[in-house]
Amino acid sequence: MTFWANHRNTLIAIAAVLIAAPFVASRPVWLDSAVILGVYALLALSVGISYGQAGILTMSQGAFASVGAYAAALCSARWGWPPFTDLVLAMLLPAVLAYGVGRVVTRLSPLATALATLALGSVISIYIRHADDLTGGYVGFAGIPAIGFIDTPLEYAVLAWLLVIAVVYGYENLMRSAHGRALNVLQQDQARARADGIDVARSMSAAFALSAAIAGIAGWLYAHYVSVLSPESLDTNISVTALLMAVVGGAGYVLGPIIGTVLFDTLTRLLPAAELQGLFYGLALVVILLVARTGLMGLGEQLIGAARSGLGRRAAPAAGLPARAAS
Amino acid sequence: MNKTTCKSWRRAAAVGATLGALALPLAAAAADAPVKIGTVLSLSGPAAVFGLPERDAINVVAKKLGFKSPGGRPFELVLHDDKSNPTEAARAVTQVINNDKVVVVVGPSTGSGILAAGPIASRLKVPLIAPAGTMAVGDRKNEFWPWVFRMAINDATSIEFILKDMAKSKAKKVGVLYQEDAYGKTGVDLAKEIAPKLGLEVVETVSAPYSATDLTAQATRLRNAGVDTVFLQVSIAALGTSFLKAARQIGLDKPIYANAGLAQRSFAENVGPEADGLRTLSIGNLPFEPIAEEKELSDLLKADGKVPQGWGEIVGANGLLAALAAIDAQAGKEITGESMRTALEGLCGFRSYARGKICYSPDNHDGWDGSSLTIVEIRDKKMRTLD
Amino acid sequence: MTFSEFILRGVLAGSIYVLLAVPMSLLFSTVRTIDFAVGAYALVAAAVAASVGGVLGIAAGLGAAVAGSAAMALIFLLLKRFGCHNHIIYALASFGVATALASAVLWQYGTQSFVRDSFSQFWSLAGIRISPQGVLNLVTALVAVTILYVVIQRSQLGRMMRAAAVNVMGSELAGIPVELIQVGTYLVGGLLGGIAGLLILFTAGLDYSAPLSLTLSGFAAAIVFGIDNPFRALFGGLAMGVAEALAAGYTSGMVTSMVPFLFLLIVLGTSRFGDATVAGDRT
Repeated sequence: MTFWANHRNTLIAIAAVLIAAPFVASRPVWLDSAVILGVYALLALSVGISYGQAGILTMSQGAFASVGAYAAALCSARWGWPPFTDLVLAMLLPAVLAYGVGRVVTRLSPLATALATLALGSVISIYIRHADDLTGGYVGFAGIPAIGFIDTPLEYAVLAWLLVIAVVYGYENLMRSAHGRALNVLQQDQARARADGIDVARSMSAAFALSAAIAGIAGWLYAHYVSVLSPESLDTNISVTALLMAVVGGAGYVLGPIIGTVLFDTLTRLLPAAELQGLFYGLALVVILLVARTGLMGLGEQLIGAARSGLGRRAAPAAGLPARAAS
Repeated sequence: MNKTTCKSWRRAAAVGATLGALALPLAAAAADAPVKIGTVLSLSGPAAVFGLPERDAINVVAKKLGFKSPGGRPFELVLHDDKSNPTEAARAVTQVINNDKVVVVVGPSTGSGILAAGPIASRLKVPLIAPAGTMAVGDRKNEFWPWVFRMAINDATSIEFILKDMAKSKAKKVGVLYQEDAYGKTGVDLAKEIAPKLGLEVVETVSAPYSATDLTAQATRLRNAGVDTVFLQVSIAALGTSFLKAARQIGLDKPIYANAGLAQRSFAENVGPEADGLRTLSIGNLPFEPIAEEKELSDLLKADGKVPQGWGEIVGANGLLAALAAIDAQAGKEITGESMRTALEGLCGFRSYARGKICYSPDNHDGWDGSSLTIVEIRDKKMRTLD
Repeated sequence: MTFSEFILRGVLAGSIYVLLAVPMSLLFSTVRTIDFAVGAYALVAAAVAASVGGVLGIAAGLGAAVAGSAAMALIFLLLKRFGCHNHIIYALASFGVATALASAVLWQYGTQSFVRDSFSQFWSLAGIRISPQGVLNLVTALVAVTILYVVIQRSQLGRMMRAAAVNVMGSELAGIPVELIQVGTYLVGGLLGGIAGLLILFTAGLDYSAPLSLTLSGFAAAIVFGIDNPFRALFGGLAMGVAEALAAGYTSGMVTSMVPFLFLLIVLGTSRFGDATVAGDRT
């Protein structure tokens, strides 16, 4: 029972994945989508931690993912590291970068952090484009091997969503730890956090580093699955998309980014492919923001809150809310 | 003939057809069903400059053929946007193969898109007809090499062709401007490699991002390096016009040559008198002086309300024609991705909208040699073919 | 000689950045948000002006740009009406507007680049050939910044704007039409973005893929010397132009492309930008 109360989001995520699994496994094209969706979900979750919890409006998650992806490519294809060992570097490298930058940007307002992280992302991607010997430059890096025994789209899809569930589990534990509570305080009021003895800069930088490490996992998975990398594979557009996914789903909620990912991806796939797609995309984004300003999770909470006050005291504890939003 | 008999005749025919279909072996039934062809092209993003004309040409040619191959086999087109992005390209190719069951894909439009889609094509055993000159696409070391057929002239051939024309003048010292992407970078590297063989020397290179609004500093640097001639490796027309204006302004009065990226109608028409005399490489000259085979394509496009833009249409239309020729090579047989691959490897000299002959073989997936290339000169906002 | 030539060319090129930076600065000081669509307004203005042509085209282009920003202002108002007071949501909505406008231009005008010629004669300044168009760009930027400065610092409207920027509720209580001022700021942003687009049309040219990078250049220029004042945007824009020209003139491609971003990171890391708004801006 305690586990249920403490790990509601993890259990919901597991349930949703189990329910979706038979449908997805029956169609090869959905399996491929499931892997890419997993990559996006990891990126959106990383935005959730960085922006939703630490208040750093990040536009460099694509760049962190690409650092992780190139690390994976170099370790496995060039230096022949055994499977999964490259994951360590793919997480560590972006985390170190993010921690360093975090110390600088944490003093800034969210919009300013957006600009700073955007600049950081641009510097990283320019470096990748010019480091011909290491990254293959503009043309890119081909022939990245699969992860050991994991080879088919089905196996990748399973791995991707196991990673998503693991991140959700870790995220949930983090938010209940002293560190998570500190993040919550400083997001509301930095002055109070300082008065409480929280090292604001360190706390925020650590959260940003964690978010970068998760983006690194996404990049690692992407590199091995797609097997080819180029500077445009995980570019600023991906960073912006991940940010929008997190905000649309509800950046402050653990599961919000995942819901945003699924919705956003479905939406862009339904839009007609042609010159006007950007117009529909833009309008859809505006409409979603108008309807659900705190993200779909926030909207769900409001609706359920309204329904509950209408129904009186019948409802069970809040457990039902994300369940409904997640399904 | 009265209505009743007509109706009952139809009903009988329908019943007969149904029975016939049931009786026929599966392979023959499959031969009647339309063959599905995937087209994954850049309909948005920077490469849409070429992706949209490719799509337009494929559509008008398919319409003109009544969605039947020259050999009479019905076909269907499935269109996807690769958004000029390799991730999207890989996804779109997976989707058309897995979901729509296409047996061949024309696209993706960009070199990096093809490189990302190659492993998927190889795994799912469906060939790609690739409309890009990027050298890496045709690298024999690629695991997926057997599955990629180039429908464009490779960059090394192209650059040698235009540099040879440059070498005919007295110019020795070459300055290069390239755009900051795979197209620009591979082009400038090849130019540096090929130039010395033709008695030329690349003495200075400058680059510009897509977003550059002012190239006077780049032009000044080339002028100060004392170049005799300038080579433009750009495909963003705005960068081309911007550089020409800058060159005129700062007094860099040297002959300018450009790779095929600038052989676009909108570049020729929008640029001012400073472009007069600029020579650019092209595959044919569809927008202004189409030769016989190109004329037909140009007329088809115009009849459909489209304005011919450049070589994008030629590449796209021939991509479709190659797929159809491969389909006709297997008349009466069941067609799969693997059989398409084998058929494409045996394809030589099919009817195409181009000057040169397109010929694939088990050893050669580059198809086109330099014979379809031509050099056009810009004069009075038009591209004039030089011969 | 060469050095001063690069400086001069940088200053002339930077005047475009100034016009893109000023709307950022204005909007940030009055609404505390960012309009991602400024680059899209520039594209719309250039596309419409190029297709209509002549003086009428210029008017139509500016009109189209302002209409684009009016759409953004309307969305801003709707968001506020629906109870959204999150500056980041406004910024994300403007991202949607930018994407929509660029897509509309691609659909209507295709992939062509928009470019027009203005002057065919050049001036020689101490042996450096420059285009009168470049001088016109610089003068336009200076005039725009001066007008804004006078309005903000000297007029009644400017006092209300400054008051609304500092304290929304206090200003509303004092009878200042805060919302009207905010909408007006969006529209001025559309106008300035449109002017920038027209100047690019006659200087270098642009196409459907330009908006986002134009917006980002504007941002960078706007915050280099502090975002709260249009005059700082002026120096920010010019400094960025000079830095780019020097980098293009003397360094490799990698450094050239990194310059604006490294500059931005260094400035953000060392200045006090944003400090004042840290507590208030966390939403």
